[in-house]
Amino acid sequence: MEMKTSPGASSDLALEPFYMPVDSDFRFKDNTGEIPVDTNFAAQSFWKDVCIRYFGRASAVFGLVMILLISVMAAVGPGMNAYSYSQQSLDQKNFAPRVKGLEMFGIFDGNESINTAAGSKMVNQYQEKGLEDVYYWFGSDNFGRDIWTRTWTGARVSLIIAVAAAVINMVIGMGYGLLSGYFGGWVDMVLQRILEIASGIPRLVTVTLLLLVLQPGMLTIIFALMLTEWIGMSRIVRAEMLKLKEQEFVLASKTLGAGSLFIIFREILPNIIGTVITQVMFSIPTAIFTEAFLSFLGLGVPVPQCSLGSLISEGFNSFTTHPYQIIPPIGVMALLMLSFNLAADGLREALDPKLKER
Amino acid sequence: MKKYTIKRILISFFTLLTILLALFVLMQMMPGSPFNDEKLNNDQRMVLYAKYGLDQPIAVQFFRYVKNMLKGDFGVSYNISKNTPISQLIQTRLPVSIRIGGLAVSIGMVFGLLLGLLGALKHNTIWDSLATAISVMGVSVPSYVFALALSYTLGFRLGWFPMVYKEKLAILSSVMPGIALSMFTMAGIARFTRSEMLEVMGSDYMLLAESKGITGWALFLRHGLRNALLPIITVLAPLIVDLMTGSLVVEKIFAIPGVGSLLVNAIQSNDYNVVIALSFIYSSMYIIIMLVVDILYGVIDPRIRLTKEGD
Repeated sequence: MEMKTSPGASSDLALEPFYMPVDSDFRFKDNTGEIPVDTNFAAQSFWKDVCIRYFGRASAVFGLVMILLISVMAAVGPGMNAYSYSQQSLDQKNFAPRVKGLEMFGIFDGNESINTAAGSKMVNQYQEKGLEDVYYWFGSDNFGRDIWTRTWTGARVSLIIAVAAAVINMVIGMGYGLLSGYFGGWVDMVLQRILEIASGIPRLVTVTLLLLVLQPGMLTIIFALMLTEWIGMSRIVRAEMLKLKEQEFVLASKTLGAGSLFIIFREILPNIIGTVITQVMFSIPTAIFTEAFLSFLGLGVPVPQCSLGSLISEGFNSFTTHPYQIIPPIGVMALLMLSFNLAADGLREALDPKLKER
Repeated sequence: MKKYTIKRILISFFTLLTILLALFVLMQMMPGSPFNDEKLNNDQRMVLYAKYGLDQPIAVQFFRYVKNMLKGDFGVSYNISKNTPISQLIQTRLPVSIRIGGLAVSIGMVFGLLLGLLGALKHNTIWDSLATAISVMGVSVPSYVFALALSYTLGFRLGWFPMVYKEKLAILSSVMPGIALSMFTMAGIARFTRSEMLEVMGSDYMLLAESKGITGWALFLRHGLRNALLPIITVLAPLIVDLMTGSLVVEKIFAIPGVGSLLVNAIQSNDYNVVIALSFIYSSMYIIIMLVVDILYGVIDPRIRLTKEGD
């Protein structure tokens, strides 16, 4: 920019000779010590703030740690002993849990009490059959399969189904909600009527009918979950979108010439991604539960594959005689659902501390 | 209000129609025709088709199908009990399911309210944490896990209640399934009551009431609870629906001769007619519950009506 005090300009005015300042006359004023910086409540990024609030909640941290622990076990657990999830040894069925080392202390020693008409008696299958060097950490089921391996394989299958379903739901529900909320008008009208009809169909009915037509299996379950779970997500995203799209920063972006796609994905989406992640976390336990429910009805993954649900339904057949067979899958599933709920609760609280507790 | 009600009824109607269409399409997709006998020649088959109206255009068939379904004529069962009309099968089973469901809703409501109020009144104390812990457990542990735990402890070990449903001990047999089913409802209501009650207790009108000299139970019951109770109706509908789903597995565990176990059996033995009939009944119940609750809520709380009409 041309300055009025530039040498050319001053000579035109023909005034008395001023001293013309040069660059070296100036230096930066070192004012770092003078600007008041709040060190007690230092400014920090939004996500760092969220992290601090999240890790301040014991229940949320517990949830996260348990999720990580179970995920790691689902990944490496089946490889920790020599058994495979489908390997049957019919001469070694219904063995009680036995762990090397712990058996000295009177727990996990392979003893189980069998209730008969004459009363209960202690039985140790390992000693009776002379298999002193065989160890089933969680026992074996009525086909002689290792329950430890099957539990973690099942956890793996259940987790894959749940996470895949939740992510697909996120994409579909988010897309639907964003479109419906952003464009409004007749688009919103049509999409919302479709959604209202879809939400009027009970999940149970959709899922059972679908599984009657399709082959039972992992993909079918994911597909069934996909058809039913996106509704809640899209409602939440639409509500957020309606709230945000009237705000000034969107108007500013529009004034600067941003297109719809840019506004939706670069301006609005970052503001609702927290809500979306929370919703995904909440939908994972639902997916785990639905999978377990379908397996219990015999519509789950086909044998010899297993999921937590199918293990529970197998264990149910003999849960009065061999309760140890049903405890591991039930324990892992309950813990997993609890952890996801706690973690999701914590995340919601951390993202928006002003939010009403639910 | 009138506009809102009409809109809700219209949507429910279209939902039901969509479900019927889906069920009809599903029936058409099932392999084979009803008259697969090899001894039949083409002419005879045509006569049979004409007799049952299968030669008519698909639209006509659909309308007849809708009429039959709405009349409660669901056809006959193929596998579970041969040639028994499905409406007859359902008639004997529905009361059992409704009794257990009703018991579960009552238990869940009463204990959920108590637990929620406990959490709100003793906010941030050990009681609050305890109530929250119980409700988190209730939400995150599926009802059939409770059913199995109850069945093992109270049924098998202690022998207080029968492990399988007995016709003669109908009331005693309903206790364990009722409790198991109620856990989710209870937890849901407890969480909602607590948050709602906390909000009401912190509101300005409570402060006003208190400053006018109303104290203790009068304040709590007349001004607090009454206002907190209204929104609870909204959560009740989805909870009842979840209960219907949960009842399937719980009925199987306790061998209850109800609608849920009929559906499970039908699915497992590929009795399509029964599955479709029960799907229709479940859907209708779901739609009716949702409709009633939505309209009821609009009557009770005008603010909801206005915001819902606005969108």
